[in-house]
Amino acid sequence: MNGREWSLLIACILAIIVFSVASPYYATSGNAGTVLRNSIELLLVGLGMMLLLAMGGIDVSVGVVMGLAAIGVGRALGAGVDPVLTALVGPLTGALLGLLTAAVIVLGRVPAIVGTLGLFGVYRTAIFVLLGGQWLSGLPTGLTVLLGTTILGLPVAAWVIALAYLAVWIALRRTPFGLHLLAIGNSEEKARLSGIPVVKVRFATFIVSGALTGLAATFYVANYRNVEMTVGSTLALDAIAAVVLGGTSILGGKCSLVGTVLGVLLLRILQNGLLLTGVPSLWQPVVTGGLLIGVLGFEVLSNRLSLSRLGWASK
Amino acid sequence: MNRIRNLQGPALILALLALLWIIVILVLLVLKPSVFSLATVTTILQFSTILALVSLGQAVVILAGGAGIDLSVGGIVSLSAIASMLALKLGLPSFLLPPACILAGAALGAFNGVLVTKLSILPLIATLGTFFVYSGLALALTGGAAQSGVPSWLLIWGRGVFSGIPVPFLTIAIPFFAIAGIVLMWTAWGRWIYAMGFNERSARLVGIPVDRARLILYGLSGVLSGAAALVSLAWLGSGRPNIGQNLELESLTAAMLGGIAILGGRGGVGGVFAAVMLLVTLKTGLLQLNVNTVWQVGIVGALLVFVLLADRLSQYWR
Amino acid sequence: MLKHIRKALAISALSLAVSTAAFAQDKPKVAFVPQLIGIPYFNAMEAGGNRAAKELGVDFIYSGPVDTNPVDQLQIVQNLIDQGVNAISVSVLDASSIAPVVEAAKAKGIKLFTSDSDAPDSGRAVYVAQATDEGLGNTIIDELVKRVGEDAKIGIVSGEATASNLNAWIGFMQKQASAKYPKLKLLEPQYAGGTAERAAQISGDLMAANPDIKAIIAVASTTCPGVAQAIETAGKIGSVIGAGYCSPNTARSYLKSGAFGFTVLWDPAQLGYLTVWAGKQLIDGKAFEAENKVPGFDNPVTYDAAKGILLLGPPAVFTAENVDKFDF
Repeated sequence: MNGREWSLLIACILAIIVFSVASPYYATSGNAGTVLRNSIELLLVGLGMMLLLAMGGIDVSVGVVMGLAAIGVGRALGAGVDPVLTALVGPLTGALLGLLTAAVIVLGRVPAIVGTLGLFGVYRTAIFVLLGGQWLSGLPTGLTVLLGTTILGLPVAAWVIALAYLAVWIALRRTPFGLHLLAIGNSEEKARLSGIPVVKVRFATFIVSGALTGLAATFYVANYRNVEMTVGSTLALDAIAAVVLGGTSILGGKCSLVGTVLGVLLLRILQNGLLLTGVPSLWQPVVTGGLLIGVLGFEVLSNRLSLSRLGWASK
Repeated sequence: MNRIRNLQGPALILALLALLWIIVILVLLVLKPSVFSLATVTTILQFSTILALVSLGQAVVILAGGAGIDLSVGGIVSLSAIASMLALKLGLPSFLLPPACILAGAALGAFNGVLVTKLSILPLIATLGTFFVYSGLALALTGGAAQSGVPSWLLIWGRGVFSGIPVPFLTIAIPFFAIAGIVLMWTAWGRWIYAMGFNERSARLVGIPVDRARLILYGLSGVLSGAAALVSLAWLGSGRPNIGQNLELESLTAAMLGGIAILGGRGGVGGVFAAVMLLVTLKTGLLQLNVNTVWQVGIVGALLVFVLLADRLSQYWR
Repeated sequence: MLKHIRKALAISALSLAVSTAAFAQDKPKVAFVPQLIGIPYFNAMEAGGNRAAKELGVDFIYSGPVDTNPVDQLQIVQNLIDQGVNAISVSVLDASSIAPVVEAAKAKGIKLFTSDSDAPDSGRAVYVAQATDEGLGNTIIDELVKRVGEDAKIGIVSGEATASNLNAWIGFMQKQASAKYPKLKLLEPQYAGGTAERAAQISGDLMAANPDIKAIIAVASTTCPGVAQAIETAGKIGSVIGAGYCSPNTARSYLKSGAFGFTVLWDPAQLGYLTVWAGKQLIDGKAFEAENKVPGFDNPVTYDAAKGILLLGPPAVFTAENVDKFDF
């Protein structure tokens, strides 16, 4: 664990202690479950976003991709498709959309932030057209039951998220894919010159991020049994904030799995804790933004301070 | 044909936008000739004013490079409208409302500039943070309630129309664009901004005060957002905490569509102006034809992708 | 740029005469601008409006913003005015925001009125109300007290903090609670924006913060699924009941699972019908009577001349028992 990860962990623990003192209902298993349940989607989408950022990419359309995948899952569920197959519809739809996004961004050589902004609009219209004003409401409970079961005492969601993070960790640390991805993040030009299959790796990353977003959609539908047209509307910015908070640089070449988990958890712990201690929910975005600026600003200042101390010492 | 092939960069974008604009107008002309009334022109300009001001700020910030971007513009618009109205309630003399609103915008923009230049936080992240803070504060401070009590003399300016052109457009948007265009094209300042965006290292080497310039540009983006907030106050007659909603995405779309390169150093304010006009005309046209509004976001998104691809393809042709 | 504007101006001068002549032969046009498109509630209003248009012989235009953004709504209304639509009804997002277009409509002789959500002091022609804001606020509190008793803690989860109609309902809930049930404790309203996910997150947090909470009110129809789901996932069915203003189709499965005790709503299709009918009356220059006979309505529709409110009737309460009789 590096400095940022330690400070996030300490921040999480401090927040938990403060909130436990402030509210008698904070440190309960029920509340811990609430916080973790509310983190599921952001943990999965954040993982994909982390890979994209590490590659020097970004995707501001993940929220609507989750919406589209949720429609796919919801339709399949409503049509009475077997829950196991239904669960796969999410990642599959997400991967397909990731492929489409990659085609525009990678083949079209369009800057990712602008290209995905355009696709955001296109996908959003697709959601409206597909739903046509009728939400998918009161969906059957098949998927909820399937994903609500526990294996060795842990809910399926926990296993899936752990597996996803483990798989990404292996891919990053033990396969050439990880090396290539980070190399592209450091410098796409140099990566190309050194013979890395840049196009392939970038395609793969967008597809993986799409699949993870689609997986989040599966959990969303299982959780809410409802698909409305606003699914995921604030997700992209939340995910970017959480991942950057976790120490991944948007310049690419650097990422942190532990940091991403801690970033997501810290956001959710604060949101939950503030509400429990009586701060109105309207203040939550202020806290998110303040945290982002505070953490990054603090790091810069403390680095500068230690550097200047070093400079002073060497004199 | 050759001349078209030789078009590139900003010129190509401008030509493309003009062409698209003419197509939109022609389609409308065929489908619904009644659209072409003075009232429609007034409407288009009225709804362009805020977007035009904010997009101009967005454009200069991106133009100056250093991965410049301002995601907080919508938040600045909301918060400066709210802050100045709250100040009015706390006893600020009403004639000071306009400067207070613009000043609030300037301060919020300058804060972005400090984060970016002094703390070296990447602009995307710094302004993402302030986007949450500013737009959140505007809602949290008011509990979502609109703040009424804009002095009536301000409404006369905000709702006035002079020979078909809304007065705020005439007195704020046009001057700002004219000044920005002149500064960018004909002054040393303008050349500095392009140089910073084109190659920051050499800009520093030749002695351009990059950090100070960038700080000022973020402040300027704040001033423009503050001006947009003032227009909204004078037009709607009240300060609304979510008035800037979606402006970050819309202004970014307008700037990109207008041919500002996301990496900076390329593009001009003429393109941004044309893009704003195209966007609002397109929206108006679709509304006049009673096309379901769900298609608006998709068409604008597709247009953005299309223009980006066209720009890219034009480099292959050569 | 200017050249194009000039061209457009020149063309407009020519076409203005032509277009006004063409309009006269058309059927009168009535428009409805909802707060947001793509949600079942307003879709039902659209369906009712379409039915009315067919029966009353008018053209019906339904157009609204994709985000709950007052400026987008304003732009749509302004464009309808420019088109020369004869009567325009708006479900106002933000009561003070329609001021500029009311003047523009008056100048062109267009009947601008509100429906579903009001802007009382804007100078609108009439307000077609589903029920009074007071009636809605009171009904939900009264019904809740019937179920959880007077000595209870109740949470409120609303949608956009800026929605003036939702805020009015919340205001009347609080008034009713303090006037009639002094022991009832209404928690501060929380705002979830338009997403079910946020509504669920906030409801979950509310239940954790207040283990003795007895009920949660979902004020915006977009928050209903989230509130209900949070109650289901927290395993609090039976100890916490959800309630809100949501359509039977949205709430059906939650009513049956017990997560929701009841929902309060009117028939939005009827409201849509009444809106178009009112528009037609305004175009024809007919005044509203104290009691109006509207085709297809069992009871006469009352009109409050002092406040300028045309009232659909008392809101209906949907429960697990009667929900299957309705489909909207």
